[in-house]
Amino acid sequence: MSAVEIEAVRKTFGKTVAVDGLSLAVPRGSVYGFIGPNGSGKTTTLRMIMNIYYPDSGAIRVFGEGLRGASTDRIGYMPEERGLYRRMKVRDVLRFYGDLKNGRDVRCEVDRWLERLELGDWADKKVETLSKGMAQKVQFIATVVARPELVILDEPFTGLDPVNADAIREAVLELQADGATVIFSTHDMSVAERMCDFIFMIFKGRKVLDGTLAAIQAQYGSDTIRVKSEGGAAVLAGLDGVERVTNFGRLQELRLAGDRDPYTILRELVARTRVESFEIARPSLHDIFVRIAGPEAKEAVDG
Amino acid sequence: MDKVRRIAQREYLATVRTKGFIIGLVVAPVVFGGSALAMVLFGDQVDTRDRVIAVVDRSGLVAEAVVAAAEARNAVVVYDGETGEKVRPALVIAVVEPDDRDPDGQRLELSNRVRDRRLHAFVEVGPGVLRPREDTAAARIRYYAKSAAMDDLRSWVERPINGRLRELRLAAAGVEPAEHGDMFDWVGAAPTGLVVRDPETGAIEQPRSSSEAEAIIAPLVMPMLMLLVIMWGAVPLLNAVMEEKSQRIAEVVLGSAKPFEFMLGKVLGGVAVSLTAATVYIIAGVLVIRNMGLAEYIPYHVLPWFFVYTLLAIVMLGAIYAAFGSICNDPSEAQSLMLPAMLPVMIPMFVLVPVLKEPESTFSTALSLFPLFTPILMLIRQTVLESLPVWQPLLGVLGMVAFAALAVWTGGRVFRVAILMQGTPANLGNLVRWALRG
Repeated sequence: MSAVEIEAVRKTFGKTVAVDGLSLAVPRGSVYGFIGPNGSGKTTTLRMIMNIYYPDSGAIRVFGEGLRGASTDRIGYMPEERGLYRRMKVRDVLRFYGDLKNGRDVRCEVDRWLERLELGDWADKKVETLSKGMAQKVQFIATVVARPELVILDEPFTGLDPVNADAIREAVLELQADGATVIFSTHDMSVAERMCDFIFMIFKGRKVLDGTLAAIQAQYGSDTIRVKSEGGAAVLAGLDGVERVTNFGRLQELRLAGDRDPYTILRELVARTRVESFEIARPSLHDIFVRIAGPEAKEAVDG
Repeated sequence: MDKVRRIAQREYLATVRTKGFIIGLVVAPVVFGGSALAMVLFGDQVDTRDRVIAVVDRSGLVAEAVVAAAEARNAVVVYDGETGEKVRPALVIAVVEPDDRDPDGQRLELSNRVRDRRLHAFVEVGPGVLRPREDTAAARIRYYAKSAAMDDLRSWVERPINGRLRELRLAAAGVEPAEHGDMFDWVGAAPTGLVVRDPETGAIEQPRSSSEAEAIIAPLVMPMLMLLVIMWGAVPLLNAVMEEKSQRIAEVVLGSAKPFEFMLGKVLGGVAVSLTAATVYIIAGVLVIRNMGLAEYIPYHVLPWFFVYTLLAIVMLGAIYAAFGSICNDPSEAQSLMLPAMLPVMIPMFVLVPVLKEPESTFSTALSLFPLFTPILMLIRQTVLESLPVWQPLLGVLGMVAFAALAVWTGGRVFRVAILMQGTPANLGNLVRWALRG
C-alpha cells in the first residue's frame, strides 16, 4: 500500500493554477524526492498532503485514508521556512511540538535527538540564541520527535554546512531504516540522486517526471559525454552534433544530437587537445532538470 | 480537545512565566489608577498665591459687597487655624471705575493685565443688573479670565453679587433684610447612601454619607479592572498571531492541529491569562480595601458576574483579535488594525460618565445589552444599581454567549484562510470576504 496517493489534484489561488491534475503514489518505506523550479507547486503539494491546504478537486489519501479534516498525527512536517518560538527554550519547544503530535515518550525522544544531533548543550538555551544551522536541526527534531510514520521535509538541507547536512542526511536514512516514509523537496540535484528511491519533478503545476533515477535517465538515453581535457571549454566550440555544452570548470558536459556517434566526437577532440578523460553517460538529474525547466525549455513552452 | 489544551497551556505559560507579566500586574493598575491616585496624593496641592480680581461695577450697587465677601472669606479659609500655614489663596478685589466713554478699550486694557498676570480675572457687572427682566443685555455679569469656564472663582463671585441684589430688591419691596437674618440661609442636601438591615444582627444600620468621589470612583474600579484583564488576555492575541504567522510558526503548528484548534487554543490561553490577572487583582483589591476599613464599598454581588463577563469577553474579543492578527503580515499592519480592534473596548469607556449618571436610562440599558459592550457597561450598571432587574444581566450574558459563538466561528473561518496567506494586504475588505467565504 502506498503511504501517499494523490489523484488528479488541482489547486488554484485566485487565477493562478498552483497544481494541475497531479497524480502520484509514494510507496511506503521509500525516500521520495520532490524537485522543481521555484514556484512550480512543490510546497503547495506538500501542504495539501499535510491537510493545511485543501485541493479544489481530486483526492489525497495518506495511509489509505482521506485526509480532509482528519488528524495528521502520523505525519511529521518541516516547512521550508523554519517556525520556532524564539523566546522558548529548545527543550520546551521540542516537547511542545512532540506533545502536539500526541507523541509517545516525547521527553526521552527529545533528549535522544538533541544528543544525536549534538545539541545537548543547547537544550536549556532559548531558541533565539541558536545559529541558523542549529535552529534548522532543532526544527528537524521537532518534525521527527513524535516518531511519525510519514516525514515531509521541505528543503531540509538549504543553508546547512556540509557537516550538518550530512547529519540530517544520516538521520533521514535512519528514519527510513526504521520504517518511515520520507518525502523531501530539494533544489540540490546531487542530494536527490544520492538519497532518493524515487524522484518526482513538478513544473508549472504539472508532473513532468516520476520514477526511479535509473528509469528517468533511461527516458533520455546515453546522450551525454563528460570530458576533461587540457583545452577545457574553449576547445569544445563548434563541435558538430553537440546541442549543448555545460561547463563545470574542470569538467564539461556535452549533450549530443540524437543520431550523433560519441566516438566521432572523441576523434575530433583528440585532434584538438589532449583528452584526460572521456565518459559516455546518461544525463545527470541536474541536466534533466535544466532540459525541462531551463531557459531553452521555457522559451519553447512560452513560444 | 487535547491539542487545544496544549496550545492554550503553552500560550498561558509563555505569558505568565515572563517577568513582563509579573511586573505588568503591578504596574498596570498603577498606570490605570494613576489619575485617581494623583487626586488622592495631590488633592491638597493648591496654588496659594493671592488672586487679584478687578470688579467693574457699572450698576454701582455690588462692588462693595464683593469686597466685603472676599474679606470675610479671606479671614476664614486662607490660613489653617491650627498651624497658621497658608492653605488657600487670598482674594484681593480691586474695584475699577467704569469707563463709560470707551468700555471696549477698558476691557482690552484689563484683559492685557490678566495676560500679564497682574490680574487673575475681572468681572464686569451690567448697569441693569438689579432688574434683569427689564433689560437682559444690560443685566449681564461677565467674568473674564484665561480659563473662565473652568475657574471656580467665577461661581464664587456670583454669590455676593446676587446676595446684594436680593437685599436691594427686598428693600425696595419694603422688607428689611436685617430684620430677617435667615432670609438667605441655604440648606444643602447631604449625599447619603441607602439604609440597610444588618443581616447578622437584624438592626437597621445608619447609612453613610457619600461623597461625589465615592460615587464616581468606586463604580469605576470594576470596569477599569475589566479593561485591564481584556488588555492582558485578548489584545495581545493580535500581535501574537501576527508574529506566529510572520515567523512561520503557524505553518508548523498547523502541521499538527487544525486551524480552529489553533485559534481556540490561543483564545483559551488568553482567557486563562485574564482570569489569572483578574483573580490576583480581585483578591489583592479586596484585601487592600478591607484593610482600609472600606469593606462596605466592595460590590461583592457583582464579583461572580465579573468573572463570567471576563471569560466571555476574552472569548469574544480574543477570537476577533486572533482573526485580525491572522490577516496581518508585519507589525505595521498590526498597528494599523489596532485602532478598529480596540473600538469595542474604547466605546464603553467613552460613555462611562453618562451611563454612570443615568444607569437606568434607555441609552444605558440598550448599550449595555450590546454584547461587545456588556462586560464593561452592564458591570458598571450592576455596581451602581442594586435594583437592576436580573433579566438584564442574564440577557446580556445570553447575548455574549451567542456573540462569542459567532465570533469564534467567523474568526475561525478568517484564521484558516489568512494564517498562511503571505503578502495579501490586511484590510477590512479582505477580513469580511474571508469571513463570508471561509
